[in-house]
Amino acid sequence: MVFLFLPMVYSLYLAFQRWDGIGEKTFVGLDQFRFLLDDPTFWLALRNTLVIWGLATFPMLFMALALAAMLNSTRRLTGFYRVAYFVPNVTSVVAVSIFFFSAFSDRYGVVNAALQAINLPSVPWLNNEWTIKAVIAMLMTWQWTGYNMIIYLAGLQAIPTEIYEAARMDGAGPVRTFFSITIPMMRPIILFTLIISTVNGLQSFTEPQVLFGSNAAANPNSGGPGQAGLTTLLYFYHQAFDNNNFGYAAAIVWAFFLVILLFVIINWRTVQRGRKA
Amino acid sequence: MDLSRRRFVQTALLAAAGAGVTAACGGDSDSGGTKNGKNLTLWYWGGGLSDKVVADAKKHFTDVTLKSSVIGGTFKQKLLTTMNGGSFVPDITGIKGEDIASFLPNANRFIDLNTLGADKIASQYLDWKLKQGQTQDGKQIGFPIDIGPTAMFYREDMFAKAGLPTDPAKVAEEISTWEDYFAIGAEIEKAYPKSFLINNAGVIFDMAIGQQGKRMVDEDNKFIGDQDHVRKAWDLAVRPYELGVDAKINDESLKAAVADGTLATYLGAAWAALDIKDMGPNTKGKWRVAPLPGGPSNQGGSFLALPKECRNPEVAFEIIKWLLSPENEGRGFTDAALFPACPAAYELPALTGGDAFFGGQKTIEVFGPAAEKVPAFYEAPTNAAVTVPYYNELTNIEAKGKKPDDAWKDAVSQAKSIAKQQGVS
Repeated sequence: MVFLFLPMVYSLYLAFQRWDGIGEKTFVGLDQFRFLLDDPTFWLALRNTLVIWGLATFPMLFMALALAAMLNSTRRLTGFYRVAYFVPNVTSVVAVSIFFFSAFSDRYGVVNAALQAINLPSVPWLNNEWTIKAVIAMLMTWQWTGYNMIIYLAGLQAIPTEIYEAARMDGAGPVRTFFSITIPMMRPIILFTLIISTVNGLQSFTEPQVLFGSNAAANPNSGGPGQAGLTTLLYFYHQAFDNNNFGYAAAIVWAFFLVILLFVIINWRTVQRGRKA
Repeated sequence: MDLSRRRFVQTALLAAAGAGVTAACGGDSDSGGTKNGKNLTLWYWGGGLSDKVVADAKKHFTDVTLKSSVIGGTFKQKLLTTMNGGSFVPDITGIKGEDIASFLPNANRFIDLNTLGADKIASQYLDWKLKQGQTQDGKQIGFPIDIGPTAMFYREDMFAKAGLPTDPAKVAEEISTWEDYFAIGAEIEKAYPKSFLINNAGVIFDMAIGQQGKRMVDEDNKFIGDQDHVRKAWDLAVRPYELGVDAKINDESLKAAVADGTLATYLGAAWAALDIKDMGPNTKGKWRVAPLPGGPSNQGGSFLALPKECRNPEVAFEIIKWLLSPENEGRGFTDAALFPACPAAYELPALTGGDAFFGGQKTIEVFGPAAEKVPAFYEAPTNAAVTVPYYNELTNIEAKGKKPDDAWKDAVSQAKSIAKQQGVS
């Protein structure tokens, strides 16, 4: 318990100090939080995080559920499919980010080469503020769809087959069954994955960090052109470890913690309310 | 995304380590008495020192056991965390050039090397580099390993086809100012419609700031990022963009751009020669080096320092002196492309030879004089953080087509507020 809570309490304490990592700490009261409210970069980072989260989570959960439903009705090679879809989740984010980076590279990437091959104009994937977010979201979707699918699959297998048989007797097609039986029956599991994805998705860090190099000595971890890939945690990391601004970094994570909490509560209430209705 | 959670844990650990420091300080005091330890540890990063010179140092100093560790990942963070914890602190450590300023406010955590005789050998090393490792009241915290004098690398073959001078001496003469430099952009574009003069605006900003002695914060801890010297550098940085000769490369496609002739010039420090060789091995023999338009600046170059926990300061400083002697600095250049901080080394055969990658050119003839002419500068501990908005806004111009004047205003106002948050007046 000490190991769990001491760092948390300490970081809260730090949020009220100015500290460069080894020198004296100075108590600054609420200054860090006051600056946070006025810091355009913090708000930009928060906005980026939410947009990336939205772009990644909803398509991902929908795809995962659809895949799970399909896999649930296949009879052959089920083991193979399960493993195949789950593999992305156990690969290294860093390695995958590097792969995505070269695939989406403006001038020399595979994706643009493919677009040009079918006579479409090439897209400056890693130089435009929206496509940057889309690439990061794709990366997250790629990695986490399989994970959610496995959870959904477990849930699907717990639904009694009689219900499906009854539905089929009543003449419901596969799409109808999916929306009228599968989704309502899966509500608690969807809630679970939504909360997990919220907590994970809002914490996106490695993807933008690797995609938009931390190697530049003059301006490390900036989040790429237009800072479009600057997520809240990347900004926190930049403040703490590039700028040695530990007090402010602590203020960022605590403010961000409140945002995540808010999100989880909203998620919870929406799904709960849906159940009562 | 597991990693992101790990980051949280790391911060937490760092925070916990911070809590431990008060306790550690209290208990450690009796070990600081005699200071004639027989075991010394040396921390550096891959390529930070010549591994061969370090191996020889172990054989050379027989009355102590020197143990070296090559630390991977982000060096500064690991050093900071360890110093915070107060145990297993290295006796001798490297500090990167871009990090030294942030360590200087905590000079009391290091040994002033002047008390060990650094001032006696200082005259052999470049003044401006020594100054970078000094506190304002003259304590020598870092002793220079290497420097990064900058120059203009250019494609001789492309210059020839564009009707420009090709011989380094001639280039130096005809392209001596930034205006001369920007003017050749049009010639290059005429001969190579798909090529550009420069990779991005940030590079020019960095160089132009480095060509003079002031940065964003002055010695009295006052914000000066809105003054003329910064505005001038900014205007220079934006020029290629306005002239349409800026390739606007802000990602790692730089590598391919160097290899396929998208870039006719490349501005960088002496160590950038290694990057060019890595990025475009097929362009061997086509590059040359000439002085940077508008005078030299410096990019990078690291230091060795002794944390105050050092178990045998006298011997440790002897080791530093030996590792960084002119002869060994010459070896550092051969083994790890570390450009020596002591001009005496520029006469050594290791540096005076021709480089086949640059068509046999003796590059020291450009870098040597540049090294000695770098203007001394004051870099405040907050300088790196305060400079960030300028680079971000320059990329905003390149990536989003933001108007340069708006970008300047936003950069200055953000820089001001960051400066204020960091305690700059």
